[in-house]
Amino acid sequence: MAARLGAGDRDQVKKGGFILFVGLLAFLGLVFYHPLFRVLQRGLTEGGKWSFSPLGTILTDGYYLHIIVFSLKQAIMSTLLSLGIGLPGAYLLTRYSFPGKTAIRSLTVVPFVLPAIVVALGFILFFGNSGWVNQWLMSLFHLSSPPLHILYSLTGIVLAHAFYNAPIVTRVVNAAWEGIDPEIDEAASSLGAGGIRRFVGITLPLLAPALLSSAALVFIFSFLSFPIVLTLGGARYATIEVGIYTLVRTLLDYRLGSALILVETALSLSFTYLYLKAEGGFAVLTQGSRRLAVYPLFVRKASIGRVLIVVYIVIISVFFLGPISSVLVDSLRVAGRWSCESYRQIFALSYNPFLGVSPLRTVLNSLFIGGISTAISLPVGTLIAMFAVRSRLPGRRLIEAILMAPLAVSSVAIGFAVLYGLGGAPLHLSGTLIVIALAHAILTYPFVVRVIRPVLEGLDPSLVEAARSLGASRNRAFFEVILPLIGPGMLAAAVFAFALSIGEMTATIMLMRPGLGTMPVAVYSLLSARQFGAASAMGMILIVVTAVAFLAIDRLGKRGTKCQSL
Amino acid sequence: MFNKLTVLFVVVLLATVVIGTGKERLVVYTYDSFVSWGPAAALEEVFESQHDCDLQFIAAGGAKTTLSRLLAERDASGTKADLFMAEVNEVPRIMNYDLFLPVTKEDIPNLALVPEELLLDPGGGFVPYEYGYITLTYDSQVLTEDELPRSLDQLSDPRYARMLVCEDPRTSSTGFSFLLWTIARFGEEGYLDFWQAIDPTILTITSGWSEAWAMLSHGEAPLIVSFSSDTAYGAMYEDSIRYRAFAPGGQGYRTVYGIGIVKETTKPELAKAFIDLLLSIEIQEQLPGTEIMIPANSHAKLPPEYDEYLVIPEDPLMLPLDLVGERMERWLHDWERAIVTK
Repeated sequence: MAARLGAGDRDQVKKGGFILFVGLLAFLGLVFYHPLFRVLQRGLTEGGKWSFSPLGTILTDGYYLHIIVFSLKQAIMSTLLSLGIGLPGAYLLTRYSFPGKTAIRSLTVVPFVLPAIVVALGFILFFGNSGWVNQWLMSLFHLSSPPLHILYSLTGIVLAHAFYNAPIVTRVVNAAWEGIDPEIDEAASSLGAGGIRRFVGITLPLLAPALLSSAALVFIFSFLSFPIVLTLGGARYATIEVGIYTLVRTLLDYRLGSALILVETALSLSFTYLYLKAEGGFAVLTQGSRRLAVYPLFVRKASIGRVLIVVYIVIISVFFLGPISSVLVDSLRVAGRWSCESYRQIFALSYNPFLGVSPLRTVLNSLFIGGISTAISLPVGTLIAMFAVRSRLPGRRLIEAILMAPLAVSSVAIGFAVLYGLGGAPLHLSGTLIVIALAHAILTYPFVVRVIRPVLEGLDPSLVEAARSLGASRNRAFFEVILPLIGPGMLAAAVFAFALSIGEMTATIMLMRPGLGTMPVAVYSLLSARQFGAASAMGMILIVVTAVAFLAIDRLGKRGTKCQSL
Repeated sequence: MFNKLTVLFVVVLLATVVIGTGKERLVVYTYDSFVSWGPAAALEEVFESQHDCDLQFIAAGGAKTTLSRLLAERDASGTKADLFMAEVNEVPRIMNYDLFLPVTKEDIPNLALVPEELLLDPGGGFVPYEYGYITLTYDSQVLTEDELPRSLDQLSDPRYARMLVCEDPRTSSTGFSFLLWTIARFGEEGYLDFWQAIDPTILTITSGWSEAWAMLSHGEAPLIVSFSSDTAYGAMYEDSIRYRAFAPGGQGYRTVYGIGIVKETTKPELAKAFIDLLLSIEIQEQLPGTEIMIPANSHAKLPPEYDEYLVIPEDPLMLPLDLVGERMERWLHDWERAIVTK
């Protein structure tokens, strides 16, 4: 703060921040930490006393050790494949220009917010035994049986995780890469360093924090993945999540279930801590005075590099567009003919017996829950981002990791905790839209932090100081200086939180009651009711809603500071 | 700005709590398909016209997860549920947790029309309203009738490699019934060997029945574990009997769905009236077309498609419920270790 500020003024700022922060902790305590603590407490008690014996049972049982190892193994493989697919994409977006580049960059978030059930349907329609790929191969080589057995195996799980997460790697690494000052590279070049040497010696170390940060994020998501493992791997491949689900939901063994939740949370909290540490290194990168040179991708002269890039683009397009287009085609085919019947069903205003409400109502429910949860997660996330950037407290990394805990706690556990903590007396929120919105707010605020934090870090504090020294009040400085600067970032965060809420299903299903269904739940109900065309149509609407939201944010974002870290 | 949002949030929160009070409310915990596909809407309309109350269905997932949710709520702070619907294999757990209020034919007159053989709960709290059989269903464009396995044992034949989709007994009640079928057929000493033997036959094990059906109808697999009413379903709704149920070796596993009154309810009379309505001919005759199950009320008429296509196994299997209750945990435990740990 500038020297011109009086001591009392400074205290007031601190006091205001302190009150807000205590309010934040109280809120999170009520809706998240306390319910979660009560669930975990069950796993650490035996006959009413604290005990480590449930934990001991888990850690000495071959079966639980097997699923812990398998969870780690598939998460590592998924992370490596996501990096392998995502990094060339980041290179492409950084170094080349081509038509539709901006659109593609914003669309990279879309796979991430797609409900697992839609992705699973797309994968089955595209990669399955009678899916497009096998059909093509069979007619091309005149085969009588499908040659590729991709799904229902470890390969299927890892591919689906890469489908979800590779675009995240592309986005995060691309943002960091564009921030590298080209002068460093040019200096090395003038000293005679070759292309590969410059990449290994300069670019790679500068990208390391972004690489680590995105790899850690992908690892955590794959580690906690549940519906994908269950739908594309099948029951023969069990992760810790599946183990918890079985214990808590089927065997009602809260003792062992909570102990396993404890192991899972401890592991993923450690990964979250590593991820935050890596991301902290991110801030070291400073914007250069110039941006990296960008080359047009499509030129007359073909080189080996350009041919490789085109091959990559073709493979990637098939991989990402294939499953999505097969959902689109499925939604437009009724009994072997082209038809819009499925969409007519979805937009019908009348009561749909399969959903318990009219389909339009599920769209409205989704929008309402998305709106309320964003209205909660945006201020919560912004406050935590401010804490992360401004605080100089000892152990703030650890506090931050704890504040980011929802990232490390599975949706099954969060849904269960919220139900446990808020569903009954005294609030009786069970089965209301509000309780679903609260659960969504908890699930999404860490992503708000992720988007806003780099924006706050990029904010030059001298701007505020200048405004204050020129006599602007604290509020005026906030509304007229800070807000316009971080506004686009907050908007991007809001859209991201909103899109995540729209696509969320696991916690919703645990908390909903009929009539409160959302769009992904409708997809699921339509599948259960054997209405595949309508399920695909609803899935397409979900894809379109999220894609439009991100394209819109990209247009808005261009007017302000860059906000592309996620 | 944040302060304003906080105030707004508190107001919305209080508003929902206040609005939540009003007419007397009867809460039924059920499973997804009863609401999405079953007769819930019709029941609500008739019941609310007969009684001055607000009937509310709450579906918290598949048939297997709803009980866990109810017990978790009851354990934490009490449940709102007055009635609970469940598959019969949950009865041992329901008895363990002393969940249901016993009822008699005096309480529920229509119960007299339900055959004795369906009254399976010795505690008398679980009232059956429909039943059916778990059998196999095949795609008649891939397999001919002659190519079907004549018994479960033949499923291990290499010609069925990667053809069968079954459901996870830990998450799906259909899958659990199939597991019990294999135990009833091969005994506790032989069922795990059977599962090992059909491992190459199993394409995948899905978390629920709907995923398995999706795979069958999208040509992904020609054989799934499903219900014996599937052929009749196709005839009623899809003008096609491409997917046909069959009972290998004349066997199938019996599945019964029932409802009970939660002990803590403050409205036992209203709850009994609801069960009586559920068992009435009017509602029971809707079950074959909505739940695709056989009504428990023996006086309810079946649609013509059922007369023609319903598969009734000559040798229906069902393990004693007290045995299921006693061994369930161990069977799932052993199955999990035999199938998953590879």
